[in-house]
Amino acid sequence: MFELLSYGDAGWGDEILRGLAITVQLAIVTLPVGLCLGFLAAFASLSRFGPLRALGFGYTTVMRGLPEILTLFVVYNGAGLLLSAVLRWWNPEAPPTDFSPFVAGVVALGMVFGAFAGEVLRGAFNSLDKGQVEAGRAIGMTDGQIFRRIQLPQLWRFALPGLGNLWINMLKDTALVSVIALDDLMRMTKVAVGVTKQPFTFYLLACLIYWTMCVLSELVLARMERRANRGIRRA
Amino acid sequence: MNPLEILIEYWPRLLDGALMTLKLTFLGALIAGLVSPGFALIRAHATPLVQAPLRLYVSFMRGTPILAQLFLIFYGSGQFRPELEELGLWTFFRDPFNCALLAFALNSTAYQTEILRGGIMGVPQGEIEAARAIGMSRLKTLRRVVFPHAYRIAWPALGNEVILLMKASALASVVTVFDVMGRTRQVFSRTFDFSIYLWAALIYLCITAAFVLIWRRVERRLSRHIEPHGTPRAAAPTLKGSQA
Amino acid sequence: MTQPEIILKAEDIHKSFGNLEVLKGISLKARNHDVISILGSSGSGKSTFLRCLNFLETPTSGKVTVHGEEILVRNGKPQSVRHIEAIRSRLGMVFQQFNLWTHRTVLENVMEGPVQVKRDSKAEARDKAEALLSRVGLEERMHMYPSQLSGGQQQRVAIARALAMEPDAILFDEPTSALDPELVGEVLKVMQSLAAEGRTMIVVTHEMGFAREVSSEVVFLHEGRIAEQGPPEEMFTNPKTEVFERFIANVK
Repeated sequence: MFELLSYGDAGWGDEILRGLAITVQLAIVTLPVGLCLGFLAAFASLSRFGPLRALGFGYTTVMRGLPEILTLFVVYNGAGLLLSAVLRWWNPEAPPTDFSPFVAGVVALGMVFGAFAGEVLRGAFNSLDKGQVEAGRAIGMTDGQIFRRIQLPQLWRFALPGLGNLWINMLKDTALVSVIALDDLMRMTKVAVGVTKQPFTFYLLACLIYWTMCVLSELVLARMERRANRGIRRA
Repeated sequence: MNPLEILIEYWPRLLDGALMTLKLTFLGALIAGLVSPGFALIRAHATPLVQAPLRLYVSFMRGTPILAQLFLIFYGSGQFRPELEELGLWTFFRDPFNCALLAFALNSTAYQTEILRGGIMGVPQGEIEAARAIGMSRLKTLRRVVFPHAYRIAWPALGNEVILLMKASALASVVTVFDVMGRTRQVFSRTFDFSIYLWAALIYLCITAAFVLIWRRVERRLSRHIEPHGTPRAAAPTLKGSQA
Repeated sequence: MTQPEIILKAEDIHKSFGNLEVLKGISLKARNHDVISILGSSGSGKSTFLRCLNFLETPTSGKVTVHGEEILVRNGKPQSVRHIEAIRSRLGMVFQQFNLWTHRTVLENVMEGPVQVKRDSKAEARDKAEALLSRVGLEERMHMYPSQLSGGQQQRVAIARALAMEPDAILFDEPTSALDPELVGEVLKVMQSLAAEGRTMIVVTHEMGFAREVSSEVVFLHEGRIAEQGPPEEMFTNPKTEVFERFIANVK
């Protein structure tokens, strides 16, 4: 069995590691995209401007209610069609183009992450101590200063547990991109299964790899939470 | 074709898919709902050694993609085909619906167990003592005090879990179960008309919305007892006493 | 003169938590119609002793007899576990924190024991519960939930719940300590009326007035032992031990 997993021509170790690299890349690239969308969504839903609030609410509600795989297909196929249409308008001779599965994955997973993160961040804003904002106003800070100097540093502490969960969910959701033919861990496993005819062995291996990543993430997150809460007892 | 024509042409398939989605979700949540109370009790009260296998199971289910769990069961069972045939279980594992249902039930059991465990731990110790003090047996205390209370605490989180399960059920389409997602992909591969995805999205949103409404309604019924202090309300004096 | 029968007897109750011995051999007899107040500073073991009587806390050793049902405990193991539930259903208990079942209405709280433990019919239990609730002055509130009541009202419901089991004796574990001062009176009044009708009661309390006026016997615990015991009037006017004298001086 270990031969199957070894490196090089005989084994599948290198292919699976390459898949793992894609999975990790995808998750790491998606994180900032999702966080930005999350902040935008949180600002929108906290805004005093009605239509913007509705937009924020609509985005977070709809995205959270849809299966992630549907979002992925909508982005992948929809954006592909859109891209082809634009290119054809530019140059009628252009061949039909496919949207890159990697970019589709980043966009779709980022949108999902952003919707959930929007809710987490909104909740975190609301749990901030209102008195501290007033104290900031009382010494003449501007809203921008209050946000940067007082709210943002504390937001982290309230949002971290929720965002940590979202990171782990997103890490697991990356497995979906194998369905749109991105050569991630899941898809490389499938390729290995096709050749070796050992589905249980390889899918179990894939599960163990995901499991390891999630457990490691949890450990790191627990550490970060402890750090983020360090000042609290003193205060 | 415009979106409306697509809907007119393909609505029977979508309806069929919606029923399949509901069936997968309902059965999966139900099976998990039947198994999880026992597991939750173990998680809440048993010795660490007894809990260890359960913790490992929950951690595995929460730490791996459902898609991978589904593949492990559906494709993975093929590796043991001779053994499964001998046991007469192969016909079960050959059917993608069964495998999907099994995967979802196993997954949801893990989540529901943890949610319910939280509920059980949240029951005030004093109320349990009061039950013991009037001579209720352990079993009766569980049935009359601990679980009714734990479910009230856990109810919103359990609702979220069912919605997550409903969304996850779309993965069954990957192993050729024709739920909403499966039907949608089938239609798209035939028509290349993007609007079918929007109809699918609408169906999922409607299912979620309907579910949320029902769940909240039950929640309101369940949480009558935490109405704000001092609302002198002559509650329906008729049936409640006799139902209890 | 014939003595009234003994309802509850505790003999040489010991209780340790780890290395800490909280009760160092306490014996107590309650005859029919007795109202025994147990006093003591915090940490004297008075609540623990009360909880040992109905085995919410298992004594390390000792013997408890309630109406002929006897449970002997050695090395923290009760000899007859089956009798515990029988003893409990014969002893009512009223807790400091009320411990009403928050998911059931007032009426349901009172009916629960008779229906579920004593197997009374619902109609019967309901009639009895309604009567008891009007006895404690809460007939108007019986369809409310505990969270809608004040602390004093909740504690009166808890007393009705204990009475519904028709107990041979009622244990009170600091029944007024969790109440706002202005609500203490209504609960004490109910307890006083129970004493007047001849109920057997064992009360752990800080209410000196109640101990002095209402109880037939006062037991003062100090460091896990009975330091002094006797009729209230005698004990309060003429304390025999220095610890009890200091105790009543501090409370005043």
